[in-house]
Amino acid sequence: ILKTSRQINSLPKVQCPNHPDAILVEDYRAGDMICPECGLVVGDRVIDVGSEWRTFTNEKATNDPSRVGDAQNPLLNGGDLSTMISKGTGAASFDEFGNSKYQNRRTMSSADRAMLNAFKEITTMSDRINLPRNIIDRTNNLFKQVYEQKSLKGRSNDAIASACLYIACRQEGVPRTFKEICAVSRISKKEIGRCFKLILKALETSVDLITTGDFMSRFCSNLGLPKQVQMAATYIARKAVELDLVPGRSPISVAAAAIYMASQASAEKKTQKEIGDIAGVADVTIRQSYRLIYPRAADLFPPDFKFDTPVDKLPQL
Amino acid sequence: MEQNNSLTPFPPGLASPQGAMTPVLPIFSPMMPYGTGLTPQPVQNTNSLSLLEEQQRQQQQQQQQQAAASQQQSGMVGGSGQTPQLYHSQVSTTTALPGNTPLYTTPLTPMTPITPATPASESSGIVPQLQNIVSTVNLGCKLDLKTIALRARNAEYNPKRFAAVIMRIREPRTTALIFSSGKMVCTGAKSEEQSRLAARKYARVVQKLGFPAKFLDFKIQNMVGSCDVKFPIRLEGLVLTHQQFSSYEPELFPGLIYRMIKPRIVLLIFVSGKVVLTGAKVRGEIYEAFENIYPILKGFRKTT
Repeated sequence: ILKTSRQINSLPKVQCPNHPDAILVEDYRAGDMICPECGLVVGDRVIDVGSEWRTFTNEKATNDPSRVGDAQNPLLNGGDLSTMISKGTGAASFDEFGNSKYQNRRTMSSADRAMLNAFKEITTMSDRINLPRNIIDRTNNLFKQVYEQKSLKGRSNDAIASACLYIACRQEGVPRTFKEICAVSRISKKEIGRCFKLILKALETSVDLITTGDFMSRFCSNLGLPKQVQMAATYIARKAVELDLVPGRSPISVAAAAIYMASQASAEKKTQKEIGDIAGVADVTIRQSYRLIYPRAADLFPPDFKFDTPVDKLPQL
Repeated sequence: MEQNNSLTPFPPGLASPQGAMTPVLPIFSPMMPYGTGLTPQPVQNTNSLSLLEEQQRQQQQQQQQQAAASQQQSGMVGGSGQTPQLYHSQVSTTTALPGNTPLYTTPLTPMTPITPATPASESSGIVPQLQNIVSTVNLGCKLDLKTIALRARNAEYNPKRFAAVIMRIREPRTTALIFSSGKMVCTGAKSEEQSRLAARKYARVVQKLGFPAKFLDFKIQNMVGSCDVKFPIRLEGLVLTHQQFSSYEPELFPGLIYRMIKPRIVLLIFVSGKVVLTGAKVRGEIYEAFENIYPILKGFRKTT
C-alpha cells in the first residue's frame, strides 16, 4: 500500500469529509484513496501507475516491458523528449497500396541526430580495438564539448570523432598511436592530426607527452613475447632515452627498436618486419633507431636479464 | 666585415641595466652582416617600372651603408658597455637601420604573460638569416595567361592543375605566380629588396609582352628566417613549461611548434638546436622573436 504525502498548495484537494486534516492513504490495487481515521473511501478510480506485466529476474528478456523507450542519455543528448511513431506491425498499419500509414517517423532535432551519429561511429571505432567503456564515455564527452563550441564546425564529424578518441586514450593514460586510430577510422592521419591540434586549442586542454613505456605492453602482447622480454624492452627503451642515444626520434620508433633488441637477445626472436607491422613503423626506421642504440647495448639491458643470445652476438645492421 | 658582438645593444622588451626605462632600440647594429641587397631606407612606392633606376638606387644605398659602417667602425670603441648614450649616437650617425622604417623605435614592451618571460641578459650573438620572402603585387590590368605562357620564357601554365602562370627568373632566384586578374605572388627571394626587384622584373616581362602592367601595392606577406643556437635542446622540458604556446607531437612532426604571441611568429624548434622562424611581415619581428626565445632555449640546453 503506497502512502503519498500531499502538498498543501497543489492539486484539487480530496479530503475525507469527517477528517479534513487526515492524510489519505492510496490503495493502488483497488484504485482508492482511503481515510486512515475512519476508513472512508474518498476517491476512487485512481489510475494505476504500476507495471502491467510481471517481470521475473531469471527470465532472459531482451526487452524489459516496464521500460517505455530507450535508456535516457541525459549527459549527452539535449534531453530529448520527443515522440516518435514507430513502424507499424500487423496489417492495419498499411493503407491501400501497401504503403505504411504514418510514414514520417517524426525525426528528432537535427543537431542531436549529428551527435548521435557521431556517438555511434565512436562506439564502432572503439569496438574494433576493444576499448573499455570509460574511454568511450570520455570520447563522447569530448565530442559533445567540441560540437557545442562550434569552432570546428566545418570539419568532418568523423575526423573530429577520431581525434576525440585519440585524445581520450591519451587522457586515460593509455595512448594509441595515430596509426592505430587511422586503422579503425576512414580519416587520414593528416586530418586526424589537424583536428587533434584544433581540438586541443578549442578546449584549451593539453595532453601529456607520449613515452616509450606506454606502448610496450600492447606491442609485446600482440607479438606474443613473454613478460621477461617485455620488461627488458621497457627497460632498454627507458635507458636509451635517459642516455639520450636517440635524440629527435619518435618514441614509437625507439620502442620498436628496443623490442627488436630484447627479442633478439631472448629465445623469441622477432624480425624487424613483424615488429614494424605491429607498431606501424617502417622497418628502415627500426633499423635506424637500432643502429643508434646498438653501440651501448651492454648498458641498456636490465641487470637480471637471461640472455639466450649474448650481447656481442646481437645482429648488427 | 666581421664585427665584435659586444657592441650589440640589448634586445627590446628589457629594462636597461641602470634600471631606468629607456626606450629600447633594435639590436641590429648596421655592422652586422645581413646578407646582400639590404636597403635600410623605407622603400618608396613607385609605380613606374624603371628597373635600372631601382638597381642603381640599391647600389647607391649599399655604398652609403658601407661608408657609414666604416665610419662608425673607426669611430666607436669596441666593448664599451651598453649605455643609453651609445644608442643615441648610433641613431644620429646612421641612417642605415634595417626594417622598413628608418627610426625603428619599439616602445618598451611590458612583461605580459603573452611574451615569454625573459631574465635581463645580454643578447645572443646570433642573427637569424632570412631564407624566403613571399610578396604580392597588383599589376593593375587583366592578363591573358595563355599568351603569357606561350610567349614568355621559363613560364608554365597548366589550367587544369592551377589557374596561374608559374614563371621563374634566375637573378634573383625567384618564382612568381601570375593570375589572370593581374595579381602576382613572388616567392623565393632572400631579402626584401631582392623580392621587390624580382617582382619588378616579372612586371617588366609582362609589360614587354604587351600588357599595360603597373606596379601597385607591393606588399611583403611573409618572411622566413632560420638560425642555429649551436646546442641541443630538451624539447620535452620546453613543452612542459610553455604549454600554452608549444605543441610537440613527435608522431606528427619532429620539431616543437612554438607560437609566440608577441610578435606573432611561429617558431619551429628542433632537438639539434636549429630554429626556423616564420610568419613575419617585417624583418624586425624575426629578430625580436629570436631574441625572445634565445634565453628560454638556453634554459633548456641539454647538459650531456
